[in-house]
Amino acid sequence: MRGQIFNDLIALMGEDESLFFVTGDMGINLVEPIEEKYPDRFLNVGIAEQNMIGVAAGLCNAGYRPVVFTIGNFLVHRCFEQIRDDIVLHEYPVVLLGTSAGWDNAPLGPTHHLIDDWGAIRNLPGMDVYAPSSVEFARSALGRALAASRPCYIRVAKGATSIEDSEHDVFFRPGADGSAGPLLVSYGTLASECLKAQELAPEISVLVLNKVHPVDASVVAPLLVAHGRAIVVEDHFAHSGLYASVCQLIMEEGLDARVFPAAPKGYDLVVGTSAGSYHEREGLDAAHLVKRVGALGRVGAGHES
Amino acid sequence: MTVAATRDTARDDGRDSLQAPGLTRGGTPYPDPSAVRRTILGMLYRAKASHLGTSMSLVEILVAAYGACDIAAIASGLPSRDRVFVSKGHGACATYATMHHYGLLSEAVIGTYHQDGSALAGHVSHAVPGIEHSTGALGHGLPVAVGTAIGLQSSGRTDALVFCALGDGEIQEGSIWEALMLARHRGLARLIPIVDNNQISSIRATSDVIDMRPLRKRFEGFGFVVHQVDGHDVAALAAAISEIETGQVASVIIADTIKGKGVPFAEGQPVWHYRSLDDDSYATALKALVEDPVPTLAAGAGS
Repeated sequence: MRGQIFNDLIALMGEDESLFFVTGDMGINLVEPIEEKYPDRFLNVGIAEQNMIGVAAGLCNAGYRPVVFTIGNFLVHRCFEQIRDDIVLHEYPVVLLGTSAGWDNAPLGPTHHLIDDWGAIRNLPGMDVYAPSSVEFARSALGRALAASRPCYIRVAKGATSIEDSEHDVFFRPGADGSAGPLLVSYGTLASECLKAQELAPEISVLVLNKVHPVDASVVAPLLVAHGRAIVVEDHFAHSGLYASVCQLIMEEGLDARVFPAAPKGYDLVVGTSAGSYHEREGLDAAHLVKRVGALGRVGAGHES
Repeated sequence: MTVAATRDTARDDGRDSLQAPGLTRGGTPYPDPSAVRRTILGMLYRAKASHLGTSMSLVEILVAAYGACDIAAIASGLPSRDRVFVSKGHGACATYATMHHYGLLSEAVIGTYHQDGSALAGHVSHAVPGIEHSTGALGHGLPVAVGTAIGLQSSGRTDALVFCALGDGEIQEGSIWEALMLARHRGLARLIPIVDNNQISSIRATSDVIDMRPLRKRFEGFGFVVHQVDGHDVAALAAAISEIETGQVASVIIADTIKGKGVPFAEGQPVWHYRSLDDDSYATALKALVEDPVPTLAAGAGS
């Protein structure tokens, strides 16, 4: 999906001369056209991510709107204080564009797994978080983020999954049993696993949030109530991810619904050759999800064995 | 706002004429550093606030930096304005006091320092008009100043000066050296980092914590031209600023200072980073500043 976002960025930089691209020496065969076309608005700060975020804030001070790019781990974890103090506190509308969501970098080991990033960002007031599930949404994610004029984090997964009619912040695929069937709630790469699970078990309904924070309560709450039980499927720790957001929504709104997590439980030191390997280990692939849903169905609404 | 719309806007602050010796950019005498110190003392005493030591070491650095700026452009927030970043955010009291003496903050406003409902917290805050960036956690201000300088360069506003006051303890932060590498690589000749080299870190002598002496060599090793001056000599600081401004190379000023300068019982004492003034210590300090003021430029600080 990176390709779609960068194509979008190059087009947007032609329309808006305040856009300024900053990379932490990442994006080979991706960033070069920006440098060539807009040399005055291209900056490679090198392997120095803390500085990169401060520099982005400074570019805002000078009237620019930076889009800051590197691997999500280095963008979020290394720079959390800079994001908090220099971006969020100043309400600078910086776009943080982080790649390698979830286990995209599977065999590279846990330092390169991104399963604890946006939960940290979610803790900062005033930040939006996008996690595109498809190329269709990725094509417009940057435009949406820029239109909001707020600081934001776009969590970009590898691959180029196409999902029809998925270009909105939220989309819903009802199951064959309507609201009587279970609901899977997901985002990013795992949206596709949920849709595969729906193919295997058509009674499943699937709700996908391309914009994961803040949660659009007007869409999510009625579906939770209608289905009564849901599993939140994510490649991020549940206690700070979408599961936590949905639990909070249920409590705040007093919803009559039960929600269960399908998410990694910790870091994994054992190599997996692909994101799919980790999905299987953590029970996040389509086959496991169908089993989880089956367990929900056997004990009825509101409970899970 | 798009950058294109303002890129061709000519500077309107008279940058083409050099600053007259002994005078600020605006052609006025520099504020008397001792008067700034007395303002600081009053602010800290009323607020029962800490950071006396750093407030006193920073005075001439800020007097010289603001003196090289177009104050009216800062007040009106012009895109082409000069900028002063205070990376050592605990220098807030000194910053607000200096801004007051340059007419950027009223007496009523600085009187609210550390008070309920005030924007003037104990660390520099952009909620205060004229402040570029909030700082407090160390190692943040210089990267932002570097980004600003790059942005000004990219948008063709190449004359604006970007000052950044740093602590000699603060420069233990790795982000400072990340920013310096980029500044040198980009040849940011209008960026003027000034190290308040008061030789005391947080709880003890900087050299006892991380010995970086000779500091000059550290910056030279990163490719900077270093101006090491008496940091309590406004004229010497102004001369270094002027030399950097007329040159085209990445430069750093190391301002050798004394933490607590002008308050004899606090000079060189780490505890005055934290301690607040009581009635007796305030009276003693004020007496010292009145009877034995730090020499002003006019009094012969030298040129």
